[in-house]
Amino acid sequence: MTVPVTSPTAPPPTGARPPLGALARSTPGRLTGLLALLVVAGLAFGAATVVGVRQRGGHLDAVRTRSGPLTVQAQQLYRALSDADATAASAFLSGGVESAAAARRYQQDIGAAGQALATASGSGGVPVRVVQQLTTQLPVYTGLVEKARVYNRLGIPLGAAYLREASGLMRQTLLPAARSLYRSQTAGLAADRSAAAGFPWLAVPVGVLLLAALLVAQRYLRRRTNRMFNRGLVVASAAGVVALLWLTVSWVALASHLGAARDAGSAQIDLFARIRITALQARADESLTLVARGNGAAFEADFGRRMTDLVGTDGHGGLIASARAGADDELRSRLDTVRADVVAWQRAHRAVRALDDGGKYPDAVTLAIGSGKDSAATAFGRLDRHAGTAIDAADDRFTGQAGAAAASQAGAAIGLGLLALVCVGGAAVGLQRRIAEYR
Amino acid sequence: MRRRGSRVRVRGAAATVAAVALLLVAGCGTATLPDAGNPPGPPRPVGVQDPARIPDAGEQDTSCGDPRKSYRPDGALPAPGHMPGNTTMSKIARRGRLVVGVDQNTYLFGFRDPATNRIQGFDVDILREVARAIFGDPDRIQYTTITSAQRIPVLRSHQVDLVADVMTINCERWRQVAFSTDYFDAGQRVLVPADSTATTLADLGGKKVCAVKGSTSIRAIAAERAKPVPVAVDDWTDCLVLLQQRQVAAISTDNAILAGLAKQDPNTKVVGPRFTDEPYGIAANSADVDLVRFVNGVLARIRANGTWTKIYDRWLTVLGAAPSPPAAAYRD
Repeated sequence: MTVPVTSPTAPPPTGARPPLGALARSTPGRLTGLLALLVVAGLAFGAATVVGVRQRGGHLDAVRTRSGPLTVQAQQLYRALSDADATAASAFLSGGVESAAAARRYQQDIGAAGQALATASGSGGVPVRVVQQLTTQLPVYTGLVEKARVYNRLGIPLGAAYLREASGLMRQTLLPAARSLYRSQTAGLAADRSAAAGFPWLAVPVGVLLLAALLVAQRYLRRRTNRMFNRGLVVASAAGVVALLWLTVSWVALASHLGAARDAGSAQIDLFARIRITALQARADESLTLVARGNGAAFEADFGRRMTDLVGTDGHGGLIASARAGADDELRSRLDTVRADVVAWQRAHRAVRALDDGGKYPDAVTLAIGSGKDSAATAFGRLDRHAGTAIDAADDRFTGQAGAAAASQAGAAIGLGLLALVCVGGAAVGLQRRIAEYR
Repeated sequence: MRRRGSRVRVRGAAATVAAVALLLVAGCGTATLPDAGNPPGPPRPVGVQDPARIPDAGEQDTSCGDPRKSYRPDGALPAPGHMPGNTTMSKIARRGRLVVGVDQNTYLFGFRDPATNRIQGFDVDILREVARAIFGDPDRIQYTTITSAQRIPVLRSHQVDLVADVMTINCERWRQVAFSTDYFDAGQRVLVPADSTATTLADLGGKKVCAVKGSTSIRAIAAERAKPVPVAVDDWTDCLVLLQQRQVAAISTDNAILAGLAKQDPNTKVVGPRFTDEPYGIAANSADVDLVRFVNGVLARIRANGTWTKIYDRWLTVLGAAPSPPAAAYRD
């Protein structure tokens, strides 16, 4: 049994690989390195685009199906509760039995508030403490109002005490909670929107690097082989350019649709919601001033503050004037309508106060809650309706623009992924042939 | 085929188990229930003080002697519409209406009828007699509704001419306003739910007892030796709300006010003896002595001509048959 012994000093067999340093300096070595670089860059680009597009899609979905609708729900809740407070107070003024319209309106408010609250609390991501406050106190509030009604019907002044307690609960607990829920939903919507509209900071630089590497590779090959074009690399470059353009254009489209969804949609919803809710609280103040009968200076002062919030001290300031600056024609005309309503209401309110302060209480009540042409109720009703119409229109625009934003992303993940693969494939095929020539 | 089907089932079951396990593992990290915290307490009337801040109990201020003694009427009453010149009454006549501060929440004395929005009651009717004496028309009157704590401030700032709001005449208040003669005699008692065994404040040691801010009743509760806990609110009806919600064990104040509360809720009862004397007076600004003399003239007339008894019968028969009107006492 003989074992062939290889001498440790034997020369290396011919055709063995040259040392690594020499390989890196040789042309095929450089080509192989270039190929590896291009494949890595292409795959990184593909991964960055696909992941980025999918993430953006997730945020966009959140805007359309979660934070957008939730903001609407929170706004509904805030409005419905303010409306219930105002309606209960003014129904109280109308004597023992509230009108059928007031009873229906209060019922709708409580129904809408409960519905919005159920949606908000069932959807996670809302502040738990706030939802707890609302869900525990809303039934208490309605119980107090119903008690107030019963005593009112019996002609017993205890009803007024229950109404005051109910209104205090509403103003000190429920409305602040609804307001903070609305604020947090609005902030959530803004965060989702800016995340969705964010510039693809990872994919675009990687894409630019990829294109630069492709360019370098082609110049190198041209110098080495004296051929003008390498077909594989040209295809890869074309795919890279198309992908980068797609990425940029789809981002621009997305960002502009989302910008429009904000400017013509959610920002206007927020504006008119604030106008409407301020008006509702002022309306409750107006009624409670009359309910308190001469003991309502605090409510009257509150009314004045809310009016100043809306239109300033001279009718040309406040929320409406600041929104009017830089508004387009449609928004401006809507704001002008609302301001005219506020001015008419202020006029009616002054007349109500003059009557009440002059000792003509029954006339003051009639002017405050009656359905006459010049009554405060009529002016307030117009304001409420116009703000509601503006909110609905803005909501439609929001839904439309958010939908268009989603449409602008259709097929982007698949398309960009395929283009990145084409890019990698082209580079591989193109360089592999040149490398093979050196074997 | 059958074997394959069963394998598929087995594999499906395994997948389900894996999925459930995965969900459980995933759920462990995130699905902790939010902290429930403490459930909220019952609703409270706006402005409730629990326990009440008790105003300095400047024990039994007797600096004015007998507080019931008021200014003597200045001869016979002038005819309605002919107030003597340069008096408070002539100023009121020129204005065209008497401005008064009344309660809208004290059933039977001053309250708003929810059906008509009218302010009415025993106190209101007495004030209407004053308006009738000035104008010949009881409707020339403007009501400013006030809480008990506002009775003295609105007089001192001259927002109203007169206040009739179940207001006890005493020396401490005489320092700030002027009073007419006594037009109703009340005394403090206790109102409890019908199922309560308490009969006096002494039975309510450690329990919450309600009265309004700035009233003489809140001090009487705080001064009780058994140490009930006084709770103060803005209006008497707020006390009844608290009693109905079982947040206080009793309400203690003048029998007249308690009768009005008991009438609004038949499941309550007024118990125990009258343990204070609360003569009610119409209050005016200290400077309007001429007006106080005039009001005393009006009171003297309605005591004598049966109007007082008629007004009593209209509102207060729940307290028993009409007694004779309280006698007037004058200082000069």
